[in-house]
Amino acid sequence: MTMTHPGLPDLWLWFALASMSLSVLWILFRVPNNSSVQGFINVERIPVFGQLARLFSASPWPLLILKFISVALFLTVIAAGLFGTPIPERNLATTLTWTVWWAGLIITVFFLGSAWCAVCPWDTIASWLVKHRLWRRADESSSLGLKVPKAWRNVWPALAMFVGLTWLELGVGVTTNPYATAVLSLVMIVMATVYMAVFEGKAFCKHVCPVGRTVGFYAQLSMVELRPRQQQICTDCTTMECYHGTKEIEPCPTHLVMGTLTQSTYCTSCSACTMSCPHDNVGWRVRSPAVEAIQHARPHWDEAWFMLGLLGLTTFHGITMMEFWEQGLSKFGQLIGDSGQLIWSFSTGMVLVFFAPILLYSLLIKLTQWLMPSEINFKQLFSKLAFISLPLAFVYHIAHNLNHLIRESRGFTDVLMNPLGRDTLPLSSGELHMRHMNPLISEQLLYGLQAGLMIFGFWLALQILQRRTMETVNDQSTWRPHYLLPGIIFIISVTAFNLWLLVQPMIMRM
Amino acid sequence: MRYLKTLMIITLVCVFALPAYAHHVLGRPAYSLGADSNTPPSLQVETQIGDFYVTYMAFPAFPKPNEQGRVNLYASRIDNGLPFDGKVTFKVRDDSWFSNKVETLGVQDIDEVVYRQGFIFQNEGDYIITAEFESGGEPYEIDFPLRIGEPAAIGPIGVTVAVLIIILLVVNILQRKRRFSLKAKRAREEDNS
Repeated sequence: MTMTHPGLPDLWLWFALASMSLSVLWILFRVPNNSSVQGFINVERIPVFGQLARLFSASPWPLLILKFISVALFLTVIAAGLFGTPIPERNLATTLTWTVWWAGLIITVFFLGSAWCAVCPWDTIASWLVKHRLWRRADESSSLGLKVPKAWRNVWPALAMFVGLTWLELGVGVTTNPYATAVLSLVMIVMATVYMAVFEGKAFCKHVCPVGRTVGFYAQLSMVELRPRQQQICTDCTTMECYHGTKEIEPCPTHLVMGTLTQSTYCTSCSACTMSCPHDNVGWRVRSPAVEAIQHARPHWDEAWFMLGLLGLTTFHGITMMEFWEQGLSKFGQLIGDSGQLIWSFSTGMVLVFFAPILLYSLLIKLTQWLMPSEINFKQLFSKLAFISLPLAFVYHIAHNLNHLIRESRGFTDVLMNPLGRDTLPLSSGELHMRHMNPLISEQLLYGLQAGLMIFGFWLALQILQRRTMETVNDQSTWRPHYLLPGIIFIISVTAFNLWLLVQPMIMRM
Repeated sequence: MRYLKTLMIITLVCVFALPAYAHHVLGRPAYSLGADSNTPPSLQVETQIGDFYVTYMAFPAFPKPNEQGRVNLYASRIDNGLPFDGKVTFKVRDDSWFSNKVETLGVQDIDEVVYRQGFIFQNEGDYIITAEFESGGEPYEIDFPLRIGEPAAIGPIGVTVAVLIIILLVVNILQRKRRFSLKAKRAREEDNS
């Protein structure tokens, strides 16, 4: 018996479509504005949050305590996966990893940026093993400290890892296998440790980690950022402790210089810069979301592919939880003589869904190139406009994950009380039904959030498109709104498809 | 471009030439079918092979040595949902590295759309149960994993710890070597000056 979550009702769908239509009209007919968005508020001025931010910037101990908690939970996940019940909904390994953490992580990015990376257990365990220090600067001889080879200094490995992780998650079914979840966790520790032992800084986080890069790219759309309090202090600084570190504090593990930082993609929120700055000039601030994706982030070919890959894979997540996918897979499996878990059929479907938006995007970039008044390189335009895929992927990712988190995480406290799921039985149909009928928040609120998110993502994508397209036109007097049309077609196509997916009933994972 | 074309053709041929039988099923367990029955927890694997959907259940899910257990097999046609009605042979083999001994557990007829096969294993270990049947002149052979006794959980931890120790040791040795050669180089430079 398959249980499904109900899809977005028609009323919300029409509301979203109407809002999107108005957004398109607004973007086409408004007078374009090339001025930059500068507004922000220092978090330290906000009551409670300010005190918390101060606490974390002033001393390493609060962060260290969080790291201990994260590592303890992670080790419990491994123990539960290896020694606990194989019933996925009763085991902490599968429920915490896939239903709570993986689904909730993406939501936290909007509010906290890349804060997860600061307490990531993979990196924490690797650091403790290699550097033999809890937080202080390690002896340089603890790692070989080699420079990452030039060919690897990009996010292609992270994209490959993300594709691999999605394949394992949805194709092989790691999400419903506690043992495999634990083994995957151990593999990640080994990889993080190897990279830390061989290369300088946090090369694994920067180039390989699929979670870190996903969080990093989505952090461009976060409402917070770690930046200098006063730009002038950084401009006048000659010692650059944020980059070089101090005797006690590690240098920036991803080689960022605070004074010139305009993009949070590679920031791991490790607090090294906040603690090492002798002028106490680094702090968290609240900003307009997407200000980075709209105007600050610099385009790169590999990063463009990662962002488009994120878009393809998030949509793919949604597709695999539809009933038509299961039926289609079965028919295709028969056609090509695939059997068992239909891995070949699944992989073929995954490749198609992964490349479909990239292909559409490439065609529309070609069209934009043709419409533009001056000649512009394809690769350059491809990289520059790929930022529009980021909010589209982000909002659908959150909207989809909300379904898992809100409808499937009920009963998690029981699993926390019995993480190994000793002497438990599988969820009965009655329990499944109860869980299904009692989401954590009201269904209407959930629908409202999902529809609101889709509108928000659509709106951001339009803004990014307009700003980035305008930047490519050298002579502003030659600007014409129809240069935006191919990009608008892409944004509408992706959003319409993702909205359609949200309207469909979604198969419950566990 | 020519190489790319050749590669694509070879890939397509490989994909389409795949046989529709004898696949080892690393099944994804799901429990909803037996969830409300009075039977103890069962391990259930759903799979597709040729013209059939096959569902396999093991009772109990994790049998212990010298404990009576049972596998149930349901096979229904994908096109019309009708159950397969014939004989199914159940075989077992040890899934360890150096063993290829195969034993026949029994040949079963359909009983209320289910093929039931009982078993008792004397030793702990990983086994592969194979169900064989013939339909429309095509032989069907499906493998299912079955674990007897507690899984060897120390395996992955042991491998991880071993790998981590080796990495850290190698890095340590290389760093020592590097430090010694640096010292020696400095000493030589001082001597020369």
